[in-house]
Amino acid sequence: MTRYLIRRAIGAVIVMWAVATLVFFMLRIVPGDPIGAMLFDAGDAAAVEALRHKLGLDAPIYVQYVKWFWLVFQGDLGNSIYGSNMPVSKAIIEALPRTLSLAGLGFIIALVIAVPAGLIAATRRNTMLDNVVSFWAFLGLSMPEFWFGILLIIVFAAGLKWLPAIGYVPLSDGFWPWVSHLILPAIAVGTTFSAIIARNIRSGMLEVLKTDYIRVARAKGLTTSAVILRHAFPNALIPVITVAGIAFALLMANAVVVENVFSIKGLGRLLINSILNRDYPTVQGAVLVVSAIFVLSNLVVDVLYTMIDPRIRYDK
Amino acid sequence: MTTKQVMLSEAEQARIRSELADAYDFDPRDPLFGLNRQALSGSRLERRTVLRLLAASGLLTAGHLIGVPRPAVAQGKAGGTLKCGWAAVGEIATLDPAQINQVLQFQIASNVLSGLTHINAELVAEGDLAESWEVSDDGTEYTFKLREGVVFHNGDPFTADDVLFTYQRSSDPAKSIHSAVLANVASVEKVEDHTVHFKLKAPQASFLPKVLERASGRAMTIVSRGALEKMGESEYGLKPVGTGPFKVTEHQLGQTVVLERNPDYYDKDRPKLDKVIIQPIIDAEPLAAAIEAGDIQLIGGNPIAPELVDRFVANPDLVVDETPGPTFQAVWINPWHEHMKVTDFNKPVEELMKEKGFMVRLAIAKALDREAYIKQGQFGRGMPAFGTVNPAMGRYFDPDLAKASTQTFDLAKAKQLMADAGYPDGQGFPKLRLLTTPSNRRETQVVGNQLKQHLNINVEIETKDFPVLIEDFDTMNWDLVRLGSGGDYDPDDALVDWMQTNSKFNGRRRDKAKYAFGFFSDKEVDQLISDQSATADIDKRRQMVTKANKITSDKVASAFLFHQPDILVHHKTVAFPKESRIPGLVDLDRVTLA
Repeated sequence: MTRYLIRRAIGAVIVMWAVATLVFFMLRIVPGDPIGAMLFDAGDAAAVEALRHKLGLDAPIYVQYVKWFWLVFQGDLGNSIYGSNMPVSKAIIEALPRTLSLAGLGFIIALVIAVPAGLIAATRRNTMLDNVVSFWAFLGLSMPEFWFGILLIIVFAAGLKWLPAIGYVPLSDGFWPWVSHLILPAIAVGTTFSAIIARNIRSGMLEVLKTDYIRVARAKGLTTSAVILRHAFPNALIPVITVAGIAFALLMANAVVVENVFSIKGLGRLLINSILNRDYPTVQGAVLVVSAIFVLSNLVVDVLYTMIDPRIRYDK
Repeated sequence: MTTKQVMLSEAEQARIRSELADAYDFDPRDPLFGLNRQALSGSRLERRTVLRLLAASGLLTAGHLIGVPRPAVAQGKAGGTLKCGWAAVGEIATLDPAQINQVLQFQIASNVLSGLTHINAELVAEGDLAESWEVSDDGTEYTFKLREGVVFHNGDPFTADDVLFTYQRSSDPAKSIHSAVLANVASVEKVEDHTVHFKLKAPQASFLPKVLERASGRAMTIVSRGALEKMGESEYGLKPVGTGPFKVTEHQLGQTVVLERNPDYYDKDRPKLDKVIIQPIIDAEPLAAAIEAGDIQLIGGNPIAPELVDRFVANPDLVVDETPGPTFQAVWINPWHEHMKVTDFNKPVEELMKEKGFMVRLAIAKALDREAYIKQGQFGRGMPAFGTVNPAMGRYFDPDLAKASTQTFDLAKAKQLMADAGYPDGQGFPKLRLLTTPSNRRETQVVGNQLKQHLNINVEIETKDFPVLIEDFDTMNWDLVRLGSGGDYDPDDALVDWMQTNSKFNGRRRDKAKYAFGFFSDKEVDQLISDQSATADIDKRRQMVTKANKITSDKVASAFLFHQPDILVHHKTVAFPKESRIPGLVDLDRVTLA
C-alpha cells in the first residue's frame, strides 16, 4: 500500500505540473492584458511600460515560466498583480476554507438526499415513489445552480426571512452563524450532486439485487432491511464511490457559480475574479490548488475501494 | 419625457438662480476670485465661498445646488452596527489613496482617512485636519494651522510631518496615480509642528475644495508613514491607517470590510455608529434580496442595476434618493470600417454629409430612439445623451443640444440617409458586430433591435470580458462598441479624456501606420478642448465647452446614448442626514440607526 501511495504521489505531482504549465501558457495566449485592465483610466504609454517591467511581464515568456516555477518549488506562489498585490498564498488560504465548507456541506446534503432516495427507488422499482425520485433526479440534473440559488434566496431569505441571503461567516464566529450562511448555497450545489448519486445508487442496487447471493440471503430468511442494508448496499457502493469522487470535483465547479450568487469569496470566485482581471499569478496559484484537490479526491476514492471491498489490493 | 426628474418649487428655483449668479459674479483676473482674505481664511468656508470657488474652478454642478426632497427618516441614537452592500463589485481591490481609481473605493476611504478640508452636502467646507488657514493677497500662499492632539488609528500623533510625507508620496508618479493633481503646488514647508505652508505656482480656485478635499482629490488624503513602513504597501492597501472617524479592523478581500468606531476621533460627537460591515455583492438579484431581507441596510458601490430601482421605490421599508449622475454612455462607430468610413473629420458637416460613410454613421445615430431605449434598456432611469458633457456638470451642460444636434432622433431622415448612401432599407449593408460586456448584454440588445427595426441593419451582439473588450477598443478591433464613462465631474473628464485626437481612450493602442487616428479626430475640437482647459473665465470656458461638445455631436464622434443617474438606497431605519449626502460619496460619520 505504501509503495502504491508513493507511486500515486509522484503521479499527482506530474499531473499538477502538466496542468500548471498548460494554464501558464494558455493564460498568455488568451486575449486581454492585465496592464490594460489595471490602467484603463490612468497612465500613459510610459506608465504602462514601467508597470509591465515592474511586474516582469516584459521578459520573454519562457523566462517568466522558469522564474515562476522556481518560486513555486520554494513554496512561493508570488503576489497578485492586481489591486492590493496581496500574496497569492494568503488569498488562497482565505478562500479555501470557504469553498471546502461549502463543498463539504453540499456533499453531506447530497448524501442525505441521495442515499435514501436511491435505495427507495431501487427497492420500490416502477412504483410511484420510484417515479418521484427519477423526476427529482431529472430536475436536479437540469436546473442551473445559479438559477436555483437565486430561487432559494428569493424564497428563504427575501420572502420567509429564515436564512441570510448572502455572505460567509467563519466557523470561529460560532456554529450557527457559519452554518446558517451555508445552508442555502450548500443546497444549491448539493441538489445536482444528489441527483447524480441517487441515480447511481438506484442502478447499482438494481444490479446487485438480481445476483445469486441476494437470492440466497433472502432464502436464508433474512429480513428485507438486512438484505438491503447489509448485503446489497455495500456491494452497490463501488460504482457510486467512483461517481462520487468525480462528482466531488464537479461540486467544486458548481461552487464557482454558486459562490458568485451568494457572495462567498471562495476559490471559485477568486479564480473568476483573477481571470477577469488577467491576474496571472493568482490564476496559476488557484488552478494549482484546484488540481491538487482533484488529484487528492481521486486518490481518496481509490483508497476507499480497498476499505469497502477487501478483494481490491493495489500491491502485487 | 420618460425620464424622472426632480421637481423644484418656484422658491427653490429662485434660490438656485441667485446662488448661481452670485457664485459666478467675480473678475476672472482676481487671484482671490472676488473674495476677500477673511472669506478665504478661517476654520471653515461658508457655502457662498465654496460655491464661488467651485464656480471659479469650473466644478460647480446643478447637483450641488439642488436640495433633494427627502422623505422623513427616523432620527436614531448613537451606537449599533450598519450592514452595507457594495453593488456590482467582487472585491474592494485597494483602499490606499495613492492607488484608488474607483468611486466605490474612495466611498470607503473617506470614512477612514482624513484630508485637510472636507465639504459637506450643504457645501460648507469644514477644516478636517486643518483647524484654520490664511491666504496671501496674491492667492498663491496658504498657511494651515493643523488640529492638535489628533492621533492615527495606530496611536501615532498627527503633525506637519505627515502632511509633508503625504505630499512627497502623492507627487511622485512612481508611487501615486494622482500626482498630476499636485502639479500647481510649488512647495510645501513645515513651519512648526502643527503649521504648514503651501506655495502655489499660480492662483488655483480648486485648491481648497478639490486638491485638499479628503475624498475627491485623493492626492492630499493624509496617510500614516509609520503604518506604511510597518505594514508595507500591500497590507496598507487593505487596511489603511488614518485619522478618520472609522478604522478598518478587518479586511477579507472579496468578502468583508469591517469598520469600527474610532474612539479617539477628534470630534467627540462623531461617528455615531459602533461598527460598519461592508460586503461586495456582484449580482443584482442577491443584492436586492439582501436589502429586502434586511441582511444589509444600505447600498453603496457601483450604480444599482436599473431594473431594481422601481422595486425599491415601491418598497415602503426603503428610501430611494436620486440625483443627476456624472456619466455618459454611447455606441461607438468605427470610422475605419469599410461601410462607415470617414478618414478625415476636418471639414464642415455639410461637406461630410456628402460622404457615404458619414451618411451611415449619422443614420445610425439618428435612428436611436433614446427615450424608448431608456424605457426598455434602463427601466426609465436616465436622460438622453447627445454629447460627453453630462447634466451633473451643471452650467456646462447644454440642454438645447438635444434638439439642435444632427443626432436628434428622426427615423424618416435616418432611413433617407441609408438610402442615399446606397443601402435602401439596409439592402447590401453588412452585418455589424456590436461589442459589449456580459453585464450590459440585455440593454445592448435594445440598441441592436432598434438598428434592425429602424434601418434593417443586422447586428450581432458579442460579449467580452472587460479587459478583452478594452484591448479590442484600444486597438480599434471593432465595428460598434457599447461603452461609456462615469465619475465625470469636470468638462475635462468628458472632453480631454475622450474627444481629442490624443485622448487616452481614443484608439490608444491602434496600429498607427494603418489608422491615422482612433475613433475621432478634429483639429478645431482639439484646439477648443485645450483652450477651455486653460481658461479661467467661466462664461468663455462654457462657450468653448458647448461648442466642442456640439461639434463632436454633429460630426458623430460617437452615437451618444444616455446619462445615468446617481441613486442611493437605504432602509428607513437608517437616518442618513442631508448634510452627509455628498454626491458620489457615502459618508457614514453622521449616520445613525433608529
